[in-house]
Amino acid sequence: MDKPILVGAVLYNPKVSVIWDIIGEFFQDNGCPIDTVFYTNYELQVEALLKGHIDVAWNSPLAWLDAQRQSGSTCRAIAMRDTDRDRVSYLITKAQGRVKTVEDLRGKTVAVGAKDSPQATLIPLGLLQRHGLQPGRDVQVRRFDLMVGKHGDHIGGELEAFQSLAAGEADASALVDLNWQTWTQDGTINPHEYTILATTEPFDHCCFTVRADFPLEREQQFLRALFSMSYDNPKHREMMDLEGLKAWVPGRTSGYGLLHEATERQHFFAGTQT
Amino acid sequence: MERYAWTLRVSAADKDRATVFARTQQYSVGAPVQFDAAYDAITALEYVLGAIGADMVNGFRALARKRQVEVDHVEAVVEGELNNPLTYLGVVGESGHPGLERVSVKVYIASLATEEEIRRVWQEMLARSPLVQTFQPVIRFELSMQIVL
Repeated sequence: MDKPILVGAVLYNPKVSVIWDIIGEFFQDNGCPIDTVFYTNYELQVEALLKGHIDVAWNSPLAWLDAQRQSGSTCRAIAMRDTDRDRVSYLITKAQGRVKTVEDLRGKTVAVGAKDSPQATLIPLGLLQRHGLQPGRDVQVRRFDLMVGKHGDHIGGELEAFQSLAAGEADASALVDLNWQTWTQDGTINPHEYTILATTEPFDHCCFTVRADFPLEREQQFLRALFSMSYDNPKHREMMDLEGLKAWVPGRTSGYGLLHEATERQHFFAGTQT
Repeated sequence: MERYAWTLRVSAADKDRATVFARTQQYSVGAPVQFDAAYDAITALEYVLGAIGADMVNGFRALARKRQVEVDHVEAVVEGELNNPLTYLGVVGESGHPGLERVSVKVYIASLATEEEIRRVWQEMLARSPLVQTFQPVIRFELSMQIVL
């Protein structure tokens, strides 16, 4: 019997382990046994990947960049969800407020998520920088550091940032498009009271990452099983709905440029070891 | 006092199940803990929480009968919380332990007896409950009682 492929995942809520149990059973049934190893944060997971403790890591976009940074750009992004591609983040503001353009935020306060959230902090602050506004100097940043290390997987930071806007403590807040869609539908955000001030360029989110020395035949075995998941199959659909996708697609790295630029401009990795 | 002990036999059964044999009775127990709401067995942890509630409900009812305090119905809501459930899942980098951190039991008592009579039975039940006396000194054990008509 094949030795199971060791797959790393960051877990902040025990309920998420149920999804991985279902995925594990699916892989087992499809001739590719996997064992899931859970980590409390992405830093530990990246370290485990690069040290060879695990074969595949389900990485956040920031963890992907970190793995590349530490490995000399030798890792491979082998698969992602269709919904990981071409996400955007928004800066939103009060529809009847005085802020009408990004430039109007000069001297104002922007609420963002956790310091390591690509979608709710790094990329939105990068958008401000692209408009010539330096966070901390031209714009005051109110950060909601919920569950640092989880790279914004937990929506709490984005929600608190929005609540800060609603309470009048900030003039704009940052959030990913999927949360805007959900929260304007479930009543968390009244779409008549708030408006999208600016939209970032598209970026990609999570990906399955492997080291350069991960054997190609093992990778193919893993991908064959993964790509055999079909949304048309009712048995697979529940699992795919839980993971928020309609299809697994090949990994690509072209969607990480925006985050890379933001981490460089904000010196995010400065002082961390490689 | 002469020593008295209970002996149960617990035997591994299908999948993640175990069968418990107690005297002439038997019951099935699932995984130690589960986070899947659709899981089709009662976990070991749920048995413990259920046992605490049952100890109090049945203990109260038995004592009320003995003290001739009329009770229509007794029901308890039990809530339990682990210190860090992620440690049960073996999440690398987590601290803490998977043991019970807090148990809260709220007992609803439907009775036309006076509050004083009910409270007397309640206090006696707490003092004589094996599970209350086991857990109270070692975890956060929040007990409350509400009289409903």
